[in-house]
Amino acid sequence: MTTLRFPLSRIEGHARVEMEIEEGRVVSAQFQAIEMRGFRYFMLGTPAEQMPVIVPRICGVCSTAHHVASVKALEDIYEVEPPVLAKEIRELLLLGQLIQNQATSMFIFTMPDRVGASSIFHMDESEANPEQQLSLAQRSLRVRQVGTNLITLAGGQFIHPIKAIIGGVTSGIKNEPAEKMRVEMTEMLPVVCDLFDAYWEMSMSMRERIGTWGDDQPAYYIASTGRSRPELNSTMIRVLGPDGTERASFPPRLFRTYLEYEETEYSYAGQSSYQGQVMRANSLARMNLALSMGTPLADDYLEKLTHTFGKPAHPILLFDLCRGIELVYAFERSIEMLSKDLDYEDTSLPYTPKDGEGYGLVEAPRGPLIHHYKVKDGLIEDAEFIIPTTHNMLAIERALKVAGERYVSPEGINLELEKAVGRVVRAFDPCIACATQ
Amino acid sequence: MSQNQTLPRFAVLQLSGCAGCEVSLINASEWVEKYQLVYMPLVVSTHTVPEDTEILLVSGGVRNDEDVWNLRRSAEIVDRVVAVGTCAISGGVANLGDRDEVRQMFMAQASRHHLPHLLPKSQPIDAFVDVDLYLPGCPPTPELFMGALTGPENFEASSIVCQECGRKKLKDMRPKHLVGFQQGEVLPDICLINQGYLCVGSSTRGGCRAICTRPGHPCVGCRGPSDAYIEKESQVWFDRVQSVFERLTDIPPEEINAALHSPQLSLFLFQFTDYMNGDRPPRPKEKVL
Repeated sequence: MTTLRFPLSRIEGHARVEMEIEEGRVVSAQFQAIEMRGFRYFMLGTPAEQMPVIVPRICGVCSTAHHVASVKALEDIYEVEPPVLAKEIRELLLLGQLIQNQATSMFIFTMPDRVGASSIFHMDESEANPEQQLSLAQRSLRVRQVGTNLITLAGGQFIHPIKAIIGGVTSGIKNEPAEKMRVEMTEMLPVVCDLFDAYWEMSMSMRERIGTWGDDQPAYYIASTGRSRPELNSTMIRVLGPDGTERASFPPRLFRTYLEYEETEYSYAGQSSYQGQVMRANSLARMNLALSMGTPLADDYLEKLTHTFGKPAHPILLFDLCRGIELVYAFERSIEMLSKDLDYEDTSLPYTPKDGEGYGLVEAPRGPLIHHYKVKDGLIEDAEFIIPTTHNMLAIERALKVAGERYVSPEGINLELEKAVGRVVRAFDPCIACATQ
Repeated sequence: MSQNQTLPRFAVLQLSGCAGCEVSLINASEWVEKYQLVYMPLVVSTHTVPEDTEILLVSGGVRNDEDVWNLRRSAEIVDRVVAVGTCAISGGVANLGDRDEVRQMFMAQASRHHLPHLLPKSQPIDAFVDVDLYLPGCPPTPELFMGALTGPENFEASSIVCQECGRKKLKDMRPKHLVGFQQGEVLPDICLINQGYLCVGSSTRGGCRAICTRPGHPCVGCRGPSDAYIEKESQVWFDRVQSVFERLTDIPPEEINAALHSPQLSLFLFQFTDYMNGDRPPRPKEKVL
């Protein structure tokens, strides 16, 4: 038995892949999360109302999603429904997160794979046209920066937002900064489309070079966004079968009825399944579940994807292309929302803290995120974080095994395997800090 | 963006943390022209800190034995070590788990088949290596990162968050109790303390440009105490916060004291003090940006 160990980079957090090979065959592929901080344990005894400020620290990449999910879990317990304006500000906050995240995954994590560079900061050293690469990298970082600016505008702090509070938000967005943001995003939208077109082209060339879009079997898909528009401040989780029929639709409090969860001995992250079946979350799941995006340019791209790859589409590397569609959508939708008045009185409603059990759901960039709290005497008695990355764990391992089989034979191991491992893992864009907490 | 070979070389070692510090660093794009990034697994495909690295930024706390190994090995080969963010400086949010009953549950998870073994508590990095500069903040802003890279002498900031906030302190608006952390409308332009919020910006070190208090959230003290309190025991800082509330409000001192010791604030408030162990000397203020 030969064990190959692949350290991973250009993903969030500490993880590695171990592949066991015997007589030219891949026996197993494990995706190992190798860190753990223990939020589930050290949140015990915390005053419940402080959770929305503490839990963003689970992850600096997904902090916005944790912030909003936490507020919603407590609103579920206190039985308070935030006003419309607060919901809109939260949606904008989540759109900012989606922009920042999809731009990071596309341009910082996966674009270097497409041009053969070690990072976006080293792209002009690649063999292709250095000037062109430099311009690509600079524009990509600017697009990503817009996401951060939107989080700051809608969320207060730029990494660990603070503006969502139980019952609403601390304040609206004044007309002047909203207009400034709208103009900035409107100017940037054509750049986003150019970059996505270039990324699509690069992906096509990569597919030509490696000969596959990531050949793995069909899977179930899970997402919590709406059917005709990807609402991120979501309420219901939906599951799609491998054949494209909707199999389930349920609120977060019923997740145990539909999803199974297991710990493993070789990773600090668990694995979940849809009733024992391999499922996938993240961008491809949302695109497979979406009838439309509800904005013109994103709808054009969705149509192009469907036309080229069918629906539901299953190849792994399409996760990367779907992120581009969402990046365009998030810009278009934010521009729409920033054109409205976001600065009227009604930002939050009063509430009375009480004990009980509650669930908060949002569609994070990596899929549906649930916070589940039990509160007793005003303190957290139990806190559970249902993390999107764990929904992808079985799918990641299955795809790794398929990739392994492509490059391992009785004659030997093709060196392309190491790159393939990176490409597969990055397509799923796992977040290890979240998955292990 | 040209990663010119003659530029100063820096590396970013991420221990057990949330990557928020790294995300903030990526937002600080000015370094791209002035420094050469040689190691940062989040964004670069390299697997060890190269020998000729000058500056090592370390984020995250020391949570497992692999963290200890990576930290010691990397610190040894660089010229300058910078502790970045609350976790690297104090152990951070993970210190909330430094209680007997929680530690017991946690350690039951600590040893899995061929995974890095978890330590009983999260440790700051200066428990293992010498630190040349501390960069507090959860996370430090991009501007602060640039200050740490180019040298603290080039960074200008007010001594406390209050001075960077711009909200007005009123003499005749005296709340009788604290409002909850998550409750109530926030009036624009008026000091959050006048509105009954537990804001500790009056003694938290400046440099963040008051990014939380300006949109209406009280300062939770993530940058730690200002130079006036940083080398003193935590009680001195608490007394200072108390005296500010006495001057501006009619809130009973017991109420303030209890709130200051609650998790949301204790995450940050104790990061430079004797609270956790008492067995390490205070960090000299000259070494804190």
